[in-house]
Amino acid sequence: MAEQQELIYLDYAASTPVDPSVARAMTELMTIDGNYANPSSAHAAGRSSVAHIAQAAHQLGSLLNIDASTLIWTSGATESDNLAILGAARYRRDRGRHLITMRTEHKAVTDPFAELEKQGYDVTWLEPASNGVLDIAKFEAALRQDTQLVSVMHVNNETGVIQDIGRIGALCRAQEALFHVDAAQSVGKVPIDLAALPVDLMSMTAHKVYGPKGIGALYVAARPGVHVEPLLFGGGQQRRLRPGTLPAQQIVGFGMAAEIAQSRMAADLGHLTALRDRFWSGIRDIPGVLLNGDSENGFPGILNVSIEDIEGESLLLALEPLCVATGSACNSKSQEPSYVLRALGRSDALAQSAIRFSFGRNTSADEVDIAVGLYRRAVNKLRSLAPGGAT
Amino acid sequence: MRELFAAPAHAGRLDGATLSNVEDQGVRINLYADIGAGVARKLRFQAWGCPHVIAAAEAFCAAYEGRPAAEMLEFSATGLMQTLSVPVEKTGRILVLEDAVRSLGSAASGASNPDN
Repeated sequence: MAEQQELIYLDYAASTPVDPSVARAMTELMTIDGNYANPSSAHAAGRSSVAHIAQAAHQLGSLLNIDASTLIWTSGATESDNLAILGAARYRRDRGRHLITMRTEHKAVTDPFAELEKQGYDVTWLEPASNGVLDIAKFEAALRQDTQLVSVMHVNNETGVIQDIGRIGALCRAQEALFHVDAAQSVGKVPIDLAALPVDLMSMTAHKVYGPKGIGALYVAARPGVHVEPLLFGGGQQRRLRPGTLPAQQIVGFGMAAEIAQSRMAADLGHLTALRDRFWSGIRDIPGVLLNGDSENGFPGILNVSIEDIEGESLLLALEPLCVATGSACNSKSQEPSYVLRALGRSDALAQSAIRFSFGRNTSADEVDIAVGLYRRAVNKLRSLAPGGAT
Repeated sequence: MRELFAAPAHAGRLDGATLSNVEDQGVRINLYADIGAGVARKLRFQAWGCPHVIAAAEAFCAAYEGRPAAEMLEFSATGLMQTLSVPVEKTGRILVLEDAVRSLGSAASGASNPDN
């Protein structure tokens, strides 16, 4: 029956629809009337393709207030994270072997750090406070003379918690440690001024901000000592840091998405804040419902809630036709509770009951109201089904 | 599985009926049976667990209502696991239902309501 109902997509933190104007521009570029030439080619069509890429870099650079030359195109945030972490750690191996990151980072960050740990690096894994925010004093205490790289994400992908990358970066600078930020959930969504922020490396991706999948970027600050060793070999593209034919249509899509995001960021934030507040006020009175994260310092596009004595997988199914994310590891069949929520001190049961609702430009107030109704109904149903329930 | 989970017609409790309750593997199941003349005239369940557990409990009630209570003693979850395409990692949870059903059969075999 649920299959007959119209889906309500509240999973914008996982991916966003491509903006129609972005899709049009990409399609036009790929076909015979556009410019499909290899940007590495020396002929006129190749040079034209390079110009399209340069324009996109300018658009993304404008969003972040950086020079376009500081951007390396990648396949997405996972590759950017890997290039930043592995590439910087290897480049600076003689500077020290101590690295710092958080337990609540995305797997695209924690896995490269785990890999470096296996290779003999000393990694400090910081736990957040119960609201998900990094305790700055705790971070400062973890910094050492031989700390060469720190990685802390800007907006957490599960909870929406925002870290103070300005203060963290300033402490890194004082210690001469490089500072990498996974900004997959924040670029194009919250203001970021990289000319003012003490950030050395920043990972980003297009598909979280109404651009296409398969394209991302790594910002590498034009500052002495900031460099990464390449992970891939096979061509001279992008100053040999990331070889491979540049996908001009993807890059153009990212550039346009960035420009659109810049032009409507304030409106988007206002829209998301209204939706999040509407949703939370609709469910907060349900007995046992708990907000995961920081209610005062969170990105408004993400709301993560746990609920007592409700089984997460059943809740997810009972919520159909809502498209939302669970607190379970996304690639696990074992229903393992989210390690991010466990790091916030949630019990296995509460972490397993967590649902991440994430809103976007296309989300309407009506959809939020329907989602509130479905959540309340699902909780009532599952509680009534349980031993001791009302049925 | 989805249909059984979405509309479990046998969800609920039967006050005064024969009861079996089992809690294991993070699953809680109550099974209720109204027994008359050795027959499970009415079966109901309450369950806390994943959708497969709830669907399996519903499927059991639907299948065994009206059948001799003694058959519950021989209940095996294997058939339900195939019918509901239960992932192998959930085998333990479905076996909790098997325990609950057999326990219900055992209790029912000595609890037939004499006035029926």
